[in-house]
Amino acid sequence: MWWLKDVWVIDPSQKISSPQNVLVQGGQVMEISPSLTEEEVLAKAQGESVETINGKGKFLFPGLIDVHTHLREPGQEDKEDILSGSRAAVRGGITAIMAMANTVPVIDNRSLVEFVRLQGERANYARVYPIGTVTKGMQGVELVEMADMKEGGAVAFSDDGKNIQNAEMMRLALEYAKLTGLPIISHCEDKELSGEGLMRRGIPSTRMGLRGIPASAESVIVARDLLLVEETKGKLHLAHISTKESVELIRRAKARGVDVTAEVNPHHLIFCDEEITITNTDLKVNPPLGMPADREALIEGLRDGTLDIIATDHAPHTQAEKARPFAEAPFGIASLETALSAVWQHLVVPRRLSLDRVIEAWSYAPAKRFGLRGGTLKPGAPADMVLFDPDFAEIIEPATLVSKARNTPFLGKTLQGFPVMVWVNGRLVQRNRTVL
Amino acid sequence: MKWQRKDILAIEDMSVDEIQQILHTAKVMKEILMRPIKKLPTLKGKSVVNLFYEASTRTRTSFEMAGKVLGADTTSIAVAQSSVSKGESLLDTAKTIQAMRADLVIIRHPSSGSAKFLADILKAGVINAGDGQHEHPTQALLDIFTMQERLGDLEGKKVVIVGDVLHSRVARSNAWCLQKMGVDVTFVGPPTLVPVELEGLGVKLTHNLDDALPGADIVMALRLQLERQKSGLFPSLREYSHLYGLTVDRLKKTGKQSIVLHPGPMNRGVEISDDVADSVDALIERQVTNGVAIRMALIYLLIGGSSNVVA
Repeated sequence: MWWLKDVWVIDPSQKISSPQNVLVQGGQVMEISPSLTEEEVLAKAQGESVETINGKGKFLFPGLIDVHTHLREPGQEDKEDILSGSRAAVRGGITAIMAMANTVPVIDNRSLVEFVRLQGERANYARVYPIGTVTKGMQGVELVEMADMKEGGAVAFSDDGKNIQNAEMMRLALEYAKLTGLPIISHCEDKELSGEGLMRRGIPSTRMGLRGIPASAESVIVARDLLLVEETKGKLHLAHISTKESVELIRRAKARGVDVTAEVNPHHLIFCDEEITITNTDLKVNPPLGMPADREALIEGLRDGTLDIIATDHAPHTQAEKARPFAEAPFGIASLETALSAVWQHLVVPRRLSLDRVIEAWSYAPAKRFGLRGGTLKPGAPADMVLFDPDFAEIIEPATLVSKARNTPFLGKTLQGFPVMVWVNGRLVQRNRTVL
Repeated sequence: MKWQRKDILAIEDMSVDEIQQILHTAKVMKEILMRPIKKLPTLKGKSVVNLFYEASTRTRTSFEMAGKVLGADTTSIAVAQSSVSKGESLLDTAKTIQAMRADLVIIRHPSSGSAKFLADILKAGVINAGDGQHEHPTQALLDIFTMQERLGDLEGKKVVIVGDVLHSRVARSNAWCLQKMGVDVTFVGPPTLVPVELEGLGVKLTHNLDDALPGADIVMALRLQLERQKSGLFPSLREYSHLYGLTVDRLKKTGKQSIVLHPGPMNRGVEISDDVADSVDALIERQVTNGVAIRMALIYLLIGGSSNVVA
């Protein structure tokens, strides 16, 4: 049995944000109580040994659930695989990940869904939930067998990376997915508008001669998909929202009662296009980093609930792929291990976001939206938990990263505030920054 | 002033003093270039590699000649026949060139930032001969050298740059360079090719050439890439030429004897009419000659060491 003593518990599902004692037994949260004596704990342990952790000065919250992660397996294991990705996740305080479907081959049938799920179980670190594609081969032409894939363990459907350009196809997907009750995740990118673009269209892109992606490349699809989900009464989740126009569209749709949730990535909350330099491919990401006004709108949207979920969009690439001229390097930031710490340091410490809101958006909201276990420390819930030390500082170095990827803008920098103990199902999987 | 830089990558971060030093050095180089026997021993034993990932006649030849006049051994890597066409990355190509102990690499590449990418890897110097849509610093320097030859001090002069500015590294380098020299710069072209974001370069923007011309001392026409029409950026050569082509009549609107520049190669009858291209005020061939002088100056400054051509 674990006894986490005098720790500041944040559990938005129970509206707890206060010093507590937490008991964990048999893989589950057993009890949360403001005060417990040693005698009481020993009585409850009924002879089982008790490992006591002094939590003073630290936070305990439900393990993060990351709804947007690229694990690259099957097919691109040089970038990442399910084992390395799920180890990286728990190192970063993430105890469950939704694996994006754009692998090689893409996850467009039940056998592949089951493969991803089973690889996750074999790895046995973070829980791994497969996302299936919406269309066969992500070709945007024929729907996948959604009902069968749900049976195999799929928790959502997305042609991520390849937006469904055909509006009728998207409409049909939202209709058909109602059979499963699972959301369609939209990648929100008009490929004609984004074209050969490399970063957000604006003064920095124009100055550097890097082809621009207009903000409308995202927001026209957000507008389209909001209209379609309203009309079909389907279930929509919008991935990686990055523009202020999208935030406003979602805010209005929610006011009309549309069944939509939206996610935002830490890098869009932290960086903006002005910080991109012509050789810094670690900031080359899709959707591209927006302008400062977009960043402000995203933070405001996350605060007021317009944006429901924080997700990493962890996109690992090899060093050789990123060590290219800007135009030739792939899009993406690897972030499982740094995202929580970066959000803490760049948003919570400067009081732009409360830690309570961050945890709500990164654990409770994803669990609710995708029907997953965890996201709560209610007694009886699986003990997926993070002990977070706000004083722990670490230099982000290749030697300590457990992901295969190094494509993070924090490489060589110091971050402060890290998960120092992480449990999945009551099993300790990370201690003092080392994955066990 | 002792030259400090290893590389010439972009005008944007250069100082006025550096630009002046290059122009001053180029003046001496031009005198050498105009001699009947144009060969110096200055860079004997130095190797200059031309690495061109894009088709180029005048820039590549210009660099080659510049190196040869100064006595350097110049090698051109024809990319289509090299291992690059087998998929070698720029990083690996850079390491190979490093291992061959090149002293200076001239790179032209379709990706913005590729010259900086190369320079960050190599111990050898790098000159950017055009990187994507980013910069073409040697073109801007030769343009300004040419303007100064005709007009003297450029402070307070007015330059109009007309054409496909959005995709033009020549326009970007010129905008930075001219403004550092105190020149007033206006970009002209249709909104699809001169978008509002270009204001970030500090220049004036207009879509009407006739409004921009009065008072212009220098008019620079950019080459129109004809395939832009297929991408929907302008409707036809006919309309483009009607709105933005330089003609003798239109040039009268400057109200003075303006000079005309073009980075070449020209689309005669599109961005520039025959009679303008062949007029005494068009300095297009002089630009080519000055291009060799500017490149001699840069090669000399970067790898000339303690030799003393410029007294």
